This record gives sequence, C-alpha cells and structure tokens, in this order.
Amino acid sequence: MNMVNLTDELEAKADTSAPKIRAQKVNVHYSSNHALKDINLDIYPNEVTALIGPSGCGKSTFLRCLNRMNDTIDICKVEGRITLDGQNINDKKIDVVELRARVGMVFQKPNPFPKSIYDNVAYGPRIHGIAQNKQELDDIVWSSLKKAGLWNEVHDRLDASGTSLSGGQQQRLCIARTIAIEPEVILMDEPCSALDPIATAIIEELIEDLKNRYAIVIVTHSMQQAARISQKTAFFHLGKLLEHGDTTTIFTNPVHEKTKDYITGRYG
Amino acid sequence: MTDIQETDIVSRRVNWHSKSQKDRLESRYRKEKIFKALAVSSLSIAIVALLVVLVSILTTGISGFKETRIELDIYLDRDIVGEVPNLDAAGLKDHYATININSLLIKSLQKKFPEVSSRRDVFSLLKLFSVGAQSDIRDTLIADPDLVGKTHTISLLSSSIVDMFIKGKILRDVEENNRKISDQQIAWLDQFELEGKISQNFNWTFFTNGDSREPELAGVRSATVGSLLTLFVTFIISFPIGVGTAIYLEEFAPKNRYTDLIEININNLAAVPSIIFGLLGLAIFIGFVGLPRSAPLVGGLTLALMTLPTIIITARAAIKAVPPSIKEAAIGLGASHMQMVFHHVLPLSMPGILTGSIIGMAQALGETAPLLMIGMVAFIVDTPGGIMEASTALPVQVYLWADSPERGFLEKTSAAIMVLLLFLIVMNGLAIWMRQKFEKKW
Repeated sequence: MNMVNLTDELEAKADTSAPKIRAQKVNVHYSSNHALKDINLDIYPNEVTALIGPSGCGKSTFLRCLNRMNDTIDICKVEGRITLDGQNINDKKIDVVELRARVGMVFQKPNPFPKSIYDNVAYGPRIHGIAQNKQELDDIVWSSLKKAGLWNEVHDRLDASGTSLSGGQQQRLCIARTIAIEPEVILMDEPCSALDPIATAIIEELIEDLKNRYAIVIVTHSMQQAARISQKTAFFHLGKLLEHGDTTTIFTNPVHEKTKDYITGRYG
Repeated sequence: MTDIQETDIVSRRVNWHSKSQKDRLESRYRKEKIFKALAVSSLSIAIVALLVVLVSILTTGISGFKETRIELDIYLDRDIVGEVPNLDAAGLKDHYATININSLLIKSLQKKFPEVSSRRDVFSLLKLFSVGAQSDIRDTLIADPDLVGKTHTISLLSSSIVDMFIKGKILRDVEENNRKISDQQIAWLDQFELEGKISQNFNWTFFTNGDSREPELAGVRSATVGSLLTLFVTFIISFPIGVGTAIYLEEFAPKNRYTDLIEININNLAAVPSIIFGLLGLAIFIGFVGLPRSAPLVGGLTLALMTLPTIIITARAAIKAVPPSIKEAAIGLGASHMQMVFHHVLPLSMPGILTGSIIGMAQALGETAPLLMIGMVAFIVDTPGGIMEASTALPVQVYLWADSPERGFLEKTSAAIMVLLLFLIVMNGLAIWMRQKFEKKW
C-alpha cells in the first residue's frame, strides 16, 4: 500500500478523517500488574491499523479493550476513555452485546463452533435477529462466505462440520462468521500465527479487500505482514505506546530508537 | 543475560559409556520393570476378585431362574367346586377364591397314594407342593370351566424344599434329621420322578410376583417397579438442580470466599456416608413434611440429596472442559453470557454431564442404607402403583432375602443380584453410548 493510494481514499470519503475509535488515557490493571499505561490511539475507518511490539507488551490487551472482551476476566480493570463514533463504550448505557456486534473479533487460534459451516456463519445473524426469514439468512451466509473467499471451497458442503476444515479455511470461516453481522470494526488478534505462508497470503489478501468496508485493527508479530497490509502502525513496548503513525513513516523513519531496533529485528 | 556471562561457564561432557551411566540405565530399567509388574499384578488381583464374585453369584443364582413343577391328575370334584356361575374371568376369580381348593388337592393325592391315610402323612405329602399350587388349580378352573367334574392333569408348583432337593441343593445322603425333607417324601418324589412327572421350567413367577414368605413364590417385580419409581423421582429432582447448580457455580457465580466455601462443602457432601442422608430424609421428608413412609417419593428425594454432589461435581468438570476459545468466539460475536452458556457450553458439555448423571443414578440404584432409614425395607407384596404407595427397592430386596433363613432364598438373593447387576450394566452401557454419540471433536 503506498501513500498515493491512501490519500486517494481519504479524499474519496469525507468522514474518514474522523476517527472511528478513539482511545484516551487508557490504563489496564491485572490485579497488581499495570499492563497498559496511558494509551492514546485513534483508529480510522477504511484503514488497517497494525499493533506491533514484543510479547507481553499489551497489544492484545489493548485490542480486547476495544470490544470489552476484558470484561470476561474478573481481575482485569480498564480505566480511561474509549469512544466508538464519539460514544464512550464503557458507558453504562452502552449494551456490551451491541458493542461486540459492532466491533467484531477474529482470534489467534481458529475457533469455529463444532457445528456445520452454515450454522457457524448463521449464528451471529440468528442471535441478533438480523435475518427476517430463511431466504435472507441464506443470503447473508452465502455472501459472507463469498466475502471471506471461502465460498468456492465449501459451497457444496455447507452441512459439514466447521472443524473439519483446514486451519486456513477455519480462520476464513471465523472471518465470515464475524462479517456476517456487518460489524463496523474488525479486531484481529494475530490471525495468521497458526497458519502456513500460503494460508497467510490468502488471509492478507482478504484483509486488503475487507478494509474497504471496515476499520481493521490487527495485532501481528510479523513485521513484514504489518508493512504489507497496514496503513497505520502502533508500536507497543512494556505497556506503553511508544510510537504510532503512518506505516510507511514508522518503517522507514522511526523516531524512537527502540522502534527502530524492533522493526529491524535487533530487539525483541 | 548478564548474570550468565559473569559466572564461569564450564563445559562438561558426559561420558555415555562410563560405568556409572550404565548403572543408571540399568537401575532405570529395573524401576520401570518393577512398576509394570506391580501394575499388572494389582490389575490381575482385581480381575480375579471380580471373576470370583461373578462366578459365585452366577452359580448360586442361575438356578433361581428355574422352578420345579410336579404333574398331578386332579379330579375337579363338582361337589367341592359347585356349579359354575355364568361370570367373566374376573368374576370367576372372585368366585373360586372362596372354594376349598386344598381339599381337591388332598383328594387327588390320596387317590394317587391310597396307602397314605394318617393326617400326618397327608400333611407331609401336601408339603411337596407350594401354596402356589392352589392358584395353579384355580387358574385351570378359570381358563376352562367345562373341566368341572372331570379329571385333568395339572402341572403344580412344588414347594421350595422339593425344588432344592431336585436341584441338588439338599442331598439325599445326609441323615434324615439333618435335612428338611423326610425319607418318605423323597420316596414319593422318586415315584413322581419315575413316572416322569417332575419338570423344571423357566421361573416366570420370579419376574411377575412381588415378595413372598415362600421362596418359590417370591419375585422381584414389586422391588423392580419400586426401584424404577424411586430412580425416576431421583432423576427428576437431582438432574435439573444439579446441572443448574453446576452452571451457576462454574459460569455465573462470582469467585469469592462464599463460593469457595460452597464448593468445599459440595465436595465434602459427596463423601458423607449414605445412611446420614437416610436420617436426613427421615427427619425432613417424613418427620417434618409428613410424607408417607416407604414411598418411592421419599426414597427418590433422599437419593436425590445423595446424588446431587456427584452430578454437580461431574457437571462442573464437563463444563470446565469446554475450550475457552469457543466461549470467546461466542462472546466476540455479541452473544450474551446466557446465550453463550446455553448455545455453546451446555451442548458441548452435555455428554459429560449425562455420563456423570447416569453414573450417579446407577449409584443411587444400588444404594440400600438410606432406604432402610425411611422404611423402604418393609415386606411389600403388591406392586406399587405410584410414587406415594408403599414400596421396596431391588437392593433392599436383596438385603431382605439374604437375611431370610429359608434355603430357597439363597438362590433368590443371587438371582436378584443378577437382575440388579443387569440394570447397572445397562445404565453404564447407556452412559458410554451417549458419550460416544454426542461427543463432538474440535
């Protein structure tokens, strides 16, 4: 992705200038462990934002703050202000179920439900009552599988178990499942770490394609991947956000010494 | 990093061919061999013990499924039976309940053995037959009223002593005073035998009758029905409560001191002697609530208390075994906590929950002690028609028969144990089948 393309898109959509998600002074504690310290980061629509940094630096924790997945961990305390379209997501008025429908998530390990491929994708629309009838549900399932690039491989065996697919196919099924409820933001937590290079390439192409419709935040350990697919990059280190900005700038001209060491592979 | 650099790094090479290494290797092999030998021997001891139990039950019990019958020509004397009223089968049954069937039997016996005249000899001749022989005659009369006034050959149920003698459990060469059957009776039996009148059939009575004072008439029907009713109540109570508790504790309850305390107490409850639950059932359900004694309802409630900890513990283990990734996937799609539990966690843990529950049920089926406390140990002849009627249960029936002095109850005891074991095997088989049918791979 180069800068020219990016500016084209920025001009094409006026509202892209406003951040989709805005995190301000986010602090996270696990019991006594101060996992995230004063994170300020904006996520823009129709862009891929990559979160990079050494293991244990808090990038996954930050990602999980964005759809309040940390709520499920008893000892986890989130402070600060995170807004989605200007609305505080930690507000009591916000329904967490609706939030997670708007901010979807793809996990590190492919985790399809042990149900049929069809039911995997149809689960989200079903619980949110998105489809009015069977026909609509079919449409949603089929188009989601098409968008996730899985349709050609599975269209003749939608009744087969989701767990019978290969690792890469399972991960694309999980992506199809996420986009079936038409989220606004998709969070991806190292989606390719359990996949081989070919499956990774397919997923990366898919992300490239999905970014036209969604804001994507991706945690990755692969510098090449971050450079290839993201427009914005944020470098986390020991719970702090050391540096963030355009991917091209971060990779060619990092301000911070640690960032430079990390992306050149000298550190971490 | 720096710490390691500062200390001296000594490079040691291991000589894999040295004597000490060889000794280590040998001692390791020796230990492995000893462990294996111990495991195999303990397993063999267990198998041998199990075989001994099974064989002893089978050898004593298998004859319990057979009964001895003696054919006898019965003259259905019109003077005794009277005119046949024009009634249906049920009416006839009531009618014949009043007539003296015994005198029919005595007359026919005297005809067959004219030399028997003294009251004492007639009595001991009559002793060859069970009280149930009267119902055999009565049933013949009901089945075919036209037989009245004629002589008909009827196969009569023998008494338990004869049964034991024919089956070889009472030996002929024992001194007469030391056996229940007299030389004279043996002589009569020999005559019957010579005429080919003695036969052994499958003992349907064992499955169609309730308990009886006469071993040859005693059956497991009322105990089996009582056990099934009790288990039904146990399941209805303990399964929903147990699974509900497990779901709440595992998925919804906050993790604090109080839930820890509850957890410890549930685990302790599983180890409480079952008779304590019987006392509890007696005090609460009978003493306080005022439910009837000996009822399957009370038995079921008491056994439910006992089974609950087992179900809760196994259900919690099954729920805990659901991979967190599946839960996260559901939560990440915007499923509420409740939806996550009921759409994903519960279906995935169902095989484990069902297995645990069935094992708990099997345990309840075999439980005797708590039932003794709530009066299910009573002598019950009738088959219970509902959960409020007096009843007994299979293991209690085994206990009652094992306690009886009559020789004939020995094989009944073993036969009842076989029926109980059959139920347990079926239930455990069901558990295995369910586990394999519903188990999903991920």
